[in-house]
Amino acid sequence: MKPPRHIRLTRASISAALIAMAVGIAGCASGGPYPLDTLSPKSDLTRAILNLFKEVTILDSIVLVVVVVAMIGAIFVYSSREGDPGEPSAMHSDVTLEMLWTVIPALILVAITVPTVHTIIRTQPNKWPADTLEVKVIAHQWWWEFRYPTLGVVTADEVHIPINRSIHFAMTSKDVIHSFFMPSIGGKRDVVPGQENQITLTADTPGEYYGQCTEFCGASHANMRFRVFVDTPEAFNQWVAHQNEVPMKPTEGPAAAGAKIWADAPCAICHTVKGISGFSKEYTYGFRGPDLTHFGSRTTLAGSMLKNTPANVALWIKNPDAVKPGANMPTLGLDDQELSDLVAYLESLK
Amino acid sequence: MAAQPKPLHLEQVNYLEGGGIYGWLTTIDHKRIAVLYGISALLFMALGGTEAMLVRAQLIVPNNHFLSADFYNQMFTMHGLTMIFLVVMPLETGLFGNFLIPLQIGARDVAFPRLNALSYWIFILGALSLNFGWIWGGLPNGGWFGYANLTERAYAPGLNIDYYDVGLLILGISSVMSALNFFVTIVNMRAPGMTFMRMPMFIWALLVTVILLLLAFPALTVGLIFLFADRYFGSHFYEVIAGATPMLWQHLFWIFGHPEVYIMALPAFGMISEVLPVFSRKPLFGYPMMAYSIILIAFLSYGVWGHHMFATGMGPVADSAFAITSMLIAIPTGVKVFSWIATVWGGRLRFTTSMLFALGFILEFTIGGLSGVMHASAPIDLEQTDSYFIIAHFHYVLFGGVLMAILSAFYFYFPKMCGRFMNETLGKWHFWLTTIFFNCTFFPMHFLGEWGMPRRIYTYAPDMGWNFWNMFESISAFCLGASFLLFFANIAWSWFNGERAGADPWNARTLEWSIPSPPPIYNFVTVPTVHSRDAFWVEKYGDVEASGLAEKRVNVEYQTLPTPEEIAAIHMPLPSLFPIIMAGAIFLAGVGMLVGWFRLVFLGLGLLGFCAISMSFEYKEWGEDNPHQVHESFLKLDNRKVGVWSFIGSECVFFASLISTFMVYKSRSIGLPDADILNIPLTSFSTFILLMSSLLMVLALAGFQGGKPKVGTFWLFGTAFFGLIFLGGQVYEFTSFYREGMLYNTNLFSQCFYTLVGFHGFHVFLGVVWLLVMAFAGMKGKIGRSRALSVELCGLYWHFVDIVWVVIFTLIYLMRTIKRA
Repeated sequence: MKPPRHIRLTRASISAALIAMAVGIAGCASGGPYPLDTLSPKSDLTRAILNLFKEVTILDSIVLVVVVVAMIGAIFVYSSREGDPGEPSAMHSDVTLEMLWTVIPALILVAITVPTVHTIIRTQPNKWPADTLEVKVIAHQWWWEFRYPTLGVVTADEVHIPINRSIHFAMTSKDVIHSFFMPSIGGKRDVVPGQENQITLTADTPGEYYGQCTEFCGASHANMRFRVFVDTPEAFNQWVAHQNEVPMKPTEGPAAAGAKIWADAPCAICHTVKGISGFSKEYTYGFRGPDLTHFGSRTTLAGSMLKNTPANVALWIKNPDAVKPGANMPTLGLDDQELSDLVAYLESLK
Repeated sequence: MAAQPKPLHLEQVNYLEGGGIYGWLTTIDHKRIAVLYGISALLFMALGGTEAMLVRAQLIVPNNHFLSADFYNQMFTMHGLTMIFLVVMPLETGLFGNFLIPLQIGARDVAFPRLNALSYWIFILGALSLNFGWIWGGLPNGGWFGYANLTERAYAPGLNIDYYDVGLLILGISSVMSALNFFVTIVNMRAPGMTFMRMPMFIWALLVTVILLLLAFPALTVGLIFLFADRYFGSHFYEVIAGATPMLWQHLFWIFGHPEVYIMALPAFGMISEVLPVFSRKPLFGYPMMAYSIILIAFLSYGVWGHHMFATGMGPVADSAFAITSMLIAIPTGVKVFSWIATVWGGRLRFTTSMLFALGFILEFTIGGLSGVMHASAPIDLEQTDSYFIIAHFHYVLFGGVLMAILSAFYFYFPKMCGRFMNETLGKWHFWLTTIFFNCTFFPMHFLGEWGMPRRIYTYAPDMGWNFWNMFESISAFCLGASFLLFFANIAWSWFNGERAGADPWNARTLEWSIPSPPPIYNFVTVPTVHSRDAFWVEKYGDVEASGLAEKRVNVEYQTLPTPEEIAAIHMPLPSLFPIIMAGAIFLAGVGMLVGWFRLVFLGLGLLGFCAISMSFEYKEWGEDNPHQVHESFLKLDNRKVGVWSFIGSECVFFASLISTFMVYKSRSIGLPDADILNIPLTSFSTFILLMSSLLMVLALAGFQGGKPKVGTFWLFGTAFFGLIFLGGQVYEFTSFYREGMLYNTNLFSQCFYTLVGFHGFHVFLGVVWLLVMAFAGMKGKIGRSRALSVELCGLYWHFVDIVWVVIFTLIYLMRTIKRA
């Protein structure tokens, strides 16, 4: 056979390296916003994780640079090509070298492991301050239920927490395994049926943050999103007070007509509106749908997929399966007038 | 029933010629089986690649409606399953393992050639089971990891998960059988003088890989059996309502799943370690450390499964422990990377396509390894797991790493396989396009992961900041897919038109290059004697450290045309029809399981048993003069004995998984019955009987070994009889439990008890059948002193089954009083 031609790798590999660098720089520099960014922590927990991530990234980069430099050296500098004069090296062992590349990586790993274990223990406390606010997270296919046992508040897909106060999320699932992922506030933790998992954190920056289910949980796994509202203590207390009010029953207009449709249609089998319909404070086991008591004051609906506008609510009610494949919400078969009345009623539940 | 096979024409020039289609269907030649594996795996690669293209097409823009949610879920599931079980594993162990193990260790074939063919046909049928859904709709849609309890009937009513369950069970059988075969081959059939420290590094890698396969797959098998029971018999192994936990599946799956990662990675390490020295004209750097690091990686891989589960709430202690063990794996892996670089350092390089892929491998694999260190740190994993960062990580490991190594080996060994080179120009285009578009596709996934994009989502909102890179990745992925068309075209073209290659086209170092390309059926005219590492190189140049630039110091005559006398001395196994029939029987049983028609299952298993027994009498000269024992053994042990021992090793993991499930679930079981139902006096009696049967087995073996076949036969019948008494006791026990209302699915206790004890009983039943077959053979005078080994094998299995019972009796019966604190 013809020996393979001595090709010059240099130009090709340099351009490949340039492309890779360009991609890397573009990647880091391309603008946001990234609502699920894992690199902009807004709580003690996520700040601890980011610090660890930075450390590991730096150490990893050093190792990568060493490997790349060694490869460039081995391929382009300290090796010869077919047809070159002289004999190639025959070195095939060197105890010192082998010791070095065993011991140095081991030391680097110690430098990663120690803060890792430290962070694990620090971020998974088994006791928390007395004024900790407990939030129960109950995952369903494919929406999130949030309950505040000490405050009597029940809501869905949108969770409010105050800043500078220890928050303890106690999480379980009603059906399959989900994962509660809110990158800026609390990283993620799987939500497993028959098991109560915890996240403990203290948020420090008010704002609206995104969250999403990250454990594959069936057809609409992609549509199981939620929002986290981190409020100042005053705003949070105001929100709680509002949640504890019973919404006004509309007496006239489309909303009143909608309330009648609500009462006649099978909505209340699954959904609760406090003071009007549903299973009062305690849900029964077979409960399936979100609490709608203050639906009108939420910003999103249907697993935080849609903005809460009358058009979107109508879209959702008209054919839930088209919005969220596999959804348990049935198609009600309402005509346009009934639909807009019902939407008006739901939007009135401020 | 098998047609009397025609004698082989050993004088024919190479293994590819002759035989026709029937010859290929009944072949037991390891090289032909390798080619069959290769062709199947390449077809599945095209299919798995298409699935990936569909996934990327769906994600190219936000809120895309190209695929439905459910079809998308089927596609990402099938992409994972196909690439892992039907592409990477069959290419590594099936194609390269089969082809190279005998050639590199200087053997004529693998230890059990018919078993080898059986593995292949079972693999094909398992692959079909997994892909049934293409025809009847409803491909598996629960992810390759198939997390319970999403896979339960309540949440997955269709056949999708059943295809997954039965397909993987069948593929598991195939993998364990090849693993056992290769283990015996490597351990016992190396050419004289090839000690462990003289084996090529690929053989080291394969040896450790098959040990991992033997000891890891049973855990998955147990998990799949539980899943099957849940879906068909109404048990609750993964259902919270009965006190069980879906976490059981995750533990069983990842106890298999993490070693599985190394089952894929280690052969790749081996291939790279073969390619780099040849194209650098240098011996492999740090051979002993390379071998030890493979062993260490494999050992550690059993202790790190929890790092897939950091987010599941295992608690800080388990998180820390798994984080530390996972970090440890980076050390031997680092040793390998640096040793490869040191192999290239100072060499005289030839940049063939194969070498380019090998060098690409080092870099891409390092990137994947380094991102792996990130999520080995449990807190970081809480941000990264189940995001695109993980997808980036394991594609750098499995595509940039493993697949690049496979491609490197493909270009390297293609001349050996068909006697022709692959086209280097096309090959280099393939390399550059693949490398560039691979990085363009997967590197940005690191960014997407850091920006929180979850895995396995069929769509995403347009306001997440992910739009640009998703489109970029999708377009790159299409180009990446297109670059593989070059590869397929190159194979097809080169197979017929490639430049002719001689026996040793690359000036390589190991034994497989000392024989013609393509090799003759019998591989080596005379089995070589090995005096050092890189045996062929030393034969050519007299020294491992020689550069190979000088004239050949020793004039090597390539083994080509043997004389008729030499041919007469070569003893090769004959083709057999049994493997393909037996695989068909397993397939029947599998289809029966899928459609829930259990008569078909029994029919299939019956046919399987019948074939297994007839196959052992396929050759007249049965026993010592076994035509399959074509070699003098390295360990001075019969292949079959090593085989039974490795099978027992694998079975230990199987029973360990069943027993630990029982122990964990016993305390979680709700209501009655509980362990108080167990009848200790009766079981003590049957335990005694079973132990006594072991004694009779010893007497039987002593009878045959002492030249008294009649005595031996008598005790064999006695052993079988005692086994039957034990089985009778078990039938009585089960029936009385049933009468007391303890059904299979009554509660966790009942289902764990019936599964564990039932599977043990099934093993006893098989043992009794085996004993009876041996006893009847003894009656007909077929077992002389020289064949006492056959009885010994049966005895090994029987003693093992008894020992397992002792453990079960102690833990389940005698310790029944230990209950929930």
